[in-house]
Amino acid sequence: MAEQVPPVSAREADARVALDIRAFQAEGRLDEARDRYGEVVTRYQRRAARIAYHYLRDAADADEAVQDAFIKAYMHIGTFREDLPFEVWFTRILINGCLDRLKARRRRERWMAPPMLDPNGVERDPADYLPSRGPSPEEVVLSAERRQQLMGAVAELPERQRMVFMLSHFDGRSSREVSAMTGLNESTVRVHLFRAIRRLRGLLVTRAATDQGTGRSNRANR
Amino acid sequence: MRIADIVFRQGHLSEEALTTAILGGDRPAHLEQCEACSQRARDLSLWLGNVRAEALEAADEVFPPERLALQHAQIMRRLEQIDAPPRVIAFPAQAVHAPRTHSERRVSPAWVGVAAAAGLAIGLVGGQISARVTPTASVPAPAQTQQAEPAQVAPAGPVTATSQPVNASLTTDWERYVPEDLLLLDQATPSLLETQLASAR
Ligand SMILES: [Zn+2]
Repeated sequence: MAEQVPPVSAREADARVALDIRAFQAEGRLDEARDRYGEVVTRYQRRAARIAYHYLRDAADADEAVQDAFIKAYMHIGTFREDLPFEVWFTRILINGCLDRLKARRRRERWMAPPMLDPNGVERDPADYLPSRGPSPEEVVLSAERRQQLMGAVAELPERQRMVFMLSHFDGRSSREVSAMTGLNESTVRVHLFRAIRRLRGLLVTRAATDQGTGRSNRANR
Repeated sequence: MRIADIVFRQGHLSEEALTTAILGGDRPAHLEQCEACSQRARDLSLWLGNVRAEALEAADEVFPPERLALQHAQIMRRLEQIDAPPRVIAFPAQAVHAPRTHSERRVSPAWVGVAAAAGLAIGLVGGQISARVTPTASVPAPAQTQQAEPAQVAPAGPVTATSQPVNASLTTDWERYVPEDLLLLDQATPSLLETQLASAR
């Protein structure tokens, strides 16, 4: 008869894996350490890719950010403490990496083009500098169009609002977890989240209204 | 119920209170009693659900399973490189400490210096010569020379393949621009012709 193994939470499982990897590394059993870490990568990879992609809005950049975060986490697994869930610790590494990439992108953009200012004279988010793609024939499909609009609107959120909205809503994290991941305090997280939702709704409603207007005038011109 | 809700919204919930309630925070009693607010909450909840689904779909389209598999492989390869013993770094240390065999030849650093100096000298002399040979077309010769020897001077203007043969202009330049140092050197050493005549005698 199979031995009864008590169910463990994902958090406990992660902590065990981290301990195993550390032990393997200490004993020089590096192949085994990597194999074990490979399980962690599999578990969190999709989630990491989603976060990085929504944050950076560039597939190649997001890909690199995810890879770098996993490498960094592996190399610093000795500093991981079990009082924090592994995925919170890892997300922190990932977000810091994404922030560094955004900063680097901002610096590059400063050298290559004059800073873009919004009508209030405030410098726009570097993610907005990315060329906006015109809709391809496939994207004319309604759902794809709506998705494009949504992605554009999310990208228009200020950096912190976007980050908090993404982690809270897309990733389903509690305010406390988002606070641990970002270093913002919990009440700030809630304020950013509320503002992000309000702003996003406003942006999407405005865009929908503009599109309806454009659609009507296009039909009238025909 | 909050005073602000009573004063500004006729008792209905603010967007913030509604959002908080939906995202798992405090659920005000008003929400259970007011059909308008409960409808607002349902709409907002539906909208948020759609936004989430669309956003996740968009990201998953960019990162399909094949791309994630490739990414996984790349991560594992990079980790392998990190874990691999630093062979490239260890090589010079081994080379320094390894006993030298007879078949290995070692060049003295002094000779390397001499070779470098000789190379530099040859480069300088070569540079001087080529600088004096090339410029007929671009750098005008002194007016005096042009007046004194009109027959030998190449025509003014850029030298092209059609205006005159390249070899001809080179020969003229060689004759005209032999450096003084080389002339002295030439005088100090026996020429090939003199050597041949001497041996014939
Ligand atoms: Zn109400």
